[in-house]
Amino acid sequence: MWRQHRYKILLSLILLLCGLLLALNTGAAKHSSEFDALDILGEGTTLLVACGWLGLIISSRPAGRVTEWLYYGSLLLVFSYFLDLLDEFIRYPEQFRLMSWLESLPAPVGMLVLTYGLVGWHREQRAINRQLRGRELFLRDHQLIDPLTQLYGADYLHAVLQREIELHLSQHRTLCLLVLDIDDFAGFNRHHGIAAGDTYLSRLSELLSSQLRHSDVICRYAGDRFVAVLPNTTPQQAQIMAQHLRQQITQLVSAGDAPQLTVAGMTVQQHSAQAALQQTDIAIKQAKAGSALKLRPEL
Amino acid sequence: MSQRHFGYQDKILLLQHGCSELLALAQRRGALLHKLLSGTGIFEQDLHKPLGRLHYSDWLTLLKNCQQQLNSPELPYLLGNALLNSRYISLCQSLHYAQNLRQALSQLYYFRHQLFPCFYARLYRQQHGIVIEIKPAMGLANQDGFMLGLLFALILNLIKQQLGTVNGISLQLQHDASAMQQQFFGVEVSFNQAADSLCIPFSLWQQPFADANVEQLSAKIRSCRQLNRMLDKQRALPELICRLQQRALPQLLSQEQVAAMLGLSSSSLKRQLSQHQTHFAALVDSVRRDAARHLLQQGQYSNRQLASRLGYSDEHNFRRAFKRWTGVIPSSFKDLFNTH
Repeated sequence: MWRQHRYKILLSLILLLCGLLLALNTGAAKHSSEFDALDILGEGTTLLVACGWLGLIISSRPAGRVTEWLYYGSLLLVFSYFLDLLDEFIRYPEQFRLMSWLESLPAPVGMLVLTYGLVGWHREQRAINRQLRGRELFLRDHQLIDPLTQLYGADYLHAVLQREIELHLSQHRTLCLLVLDIDDFAGFNRHHGIAAGDTYLSRLSELLSSQLRHSDVICRYAGDRFVAVLPNTTPQQAQIMAQHLRQQITQLVSAGDAPQLTVAGMTVQQHSAQAALQQTDIAIKQAKAGSALKLRPEL
Repeated sequence: MSQRHFGYQDKILLLQHGCSELLALAQRRGALLHKLLSGTGIFEQDLHKPLGRLHYSDWLTLLKNCQQQLNSPELPYLLGNALLNSRYISLCQSLHYAQNLRQALSQLYYFRHQLFPCFYARLYRQQHGIVIEIKPAMGLANQDGFMLGLLFALILNLIKQQLGTVNGISLQLQHDASAMQQQFFGVEVSFNQAADSLCIPFSLWQQPFADANVEQLSAKIRSCRQLNRMLDKQRALPELICRLQQRALPQLLSQEQVAAMLGLSSSSLKRQLSQHQTHFAALVDSVRRDAARHLLQQGQYSNRQLASRLGYSDEHNFRRAFKRWTGVIPSSFKDLFNTH
């Protein structure tokens, strides 16, 4: 990420260098007996932390408007703290006010700019949240994301399902699950290679997450199995959604030589996520035993 | 002792035997190649050389890098599957052409230094089937979970492909439960067991394989033999020591005796074992632990008989050691086992 910001790094280095040269030019070095260790420690730490922020911004954010605001705000802060630290070592002549202005003015300006950037970040995050709907529900933990499909994995599903079950029980609403299982995925991998299997999985997950409603979340439960949690959904609605997904999947399947999917829906009546997920195994087995792509009638 | 052993620093693995597959899998999941290879002696340009080799310690570093960069529990299972169907590994291809599971597994065991030099196995018979107990043959630097997953995935996938079913097979693992594993193996898995083992019912051992082919098999075995010229049939040092001690029971071998048997000096034995993150006393202890467990499972031995078979001076010492290994005294272990 930092490669996008080369000129910014260069600019900040030049700015700090200018500050240093200016300070050296106008002032004279203090004697070592005049150093105040506590001040140096305090101001040094502030400077280091501000530099750390700058580094994090550069290394984690793509180029863009919000990044610019965040970056220039922090740069002004760093500049101000840097001069602050320098005057512990350098004494300026009494009549020369420029240095003290340079020291105190950039900090509040930088804070304002940084705050404006943070507001922008907040708005951006809301936009990203909208983008993430269907892939995420109430809980965020980037370590649980499956790196291939960019969906959440089984642990996440477990946590979300447990919470939804408790909520739905207390409010007497119905919670449904959709289970999607790829038929003979091992065979597909064997014939076409694991690389083709990986491509298929990522295309499939892209399709599935785009076809769900905003309140739903889909997770990769196992290597070849996906589970979608549909909060506040009646079995009839779930059935319609399953039918819709099947149609979408046929398009994906007809595009190439890809394996079929079995879709099964079930209503959660269990009181724990563990039991509900065990029930999904049974549901998918029954769906496979019956004709493929058929929903259980008692749903 | 004619068998040679390899050092921790010998290049005993082929890049084609897993390394390039693992890198491809990890890269498709967003890992960066230079970060995966950092700390290993593998160079990017060597990856496509057909006979490029690597150290086992490099392989372990590679696995560690993978886990640091990716949180993908399916990796060992996918890799096992990829190895099994790889066109570049004649050992894996030969498994498909075997007559039956017995022949395939003995083939895998005979040439295991080409693919899994880190494990050795012991077989014993139980009521319903034959148990394959997998033991680490060398220091695995916390990657034993991954390697076991890889090995079991390979074997189970082979059975699934050739016999069409894995019914009746059960898997025992030493480490803790994790939600994903049950899903991937597709068989009954129990955790926190005394050993890592796979129990295969008698009926599956002799059932003919779907792709059994005598000519293809002998061709593949020939190319395995040719590969032996590059990858010597060597065993890891800890495995050799365990085998020697196993054979010598109830007599206990000293470090000097074993060193002499292996043609090493005592200090170099010590140094090489420390490269495997183990030491002599721990190996002897593990051999006695496994032997005690086997004897207890086999039949009705008294503690005094067990103590004398395992080289303990009296039964009190044996009971104390057993409590240390398993946390229970021998008699309650027997009960535990008999109720199952």
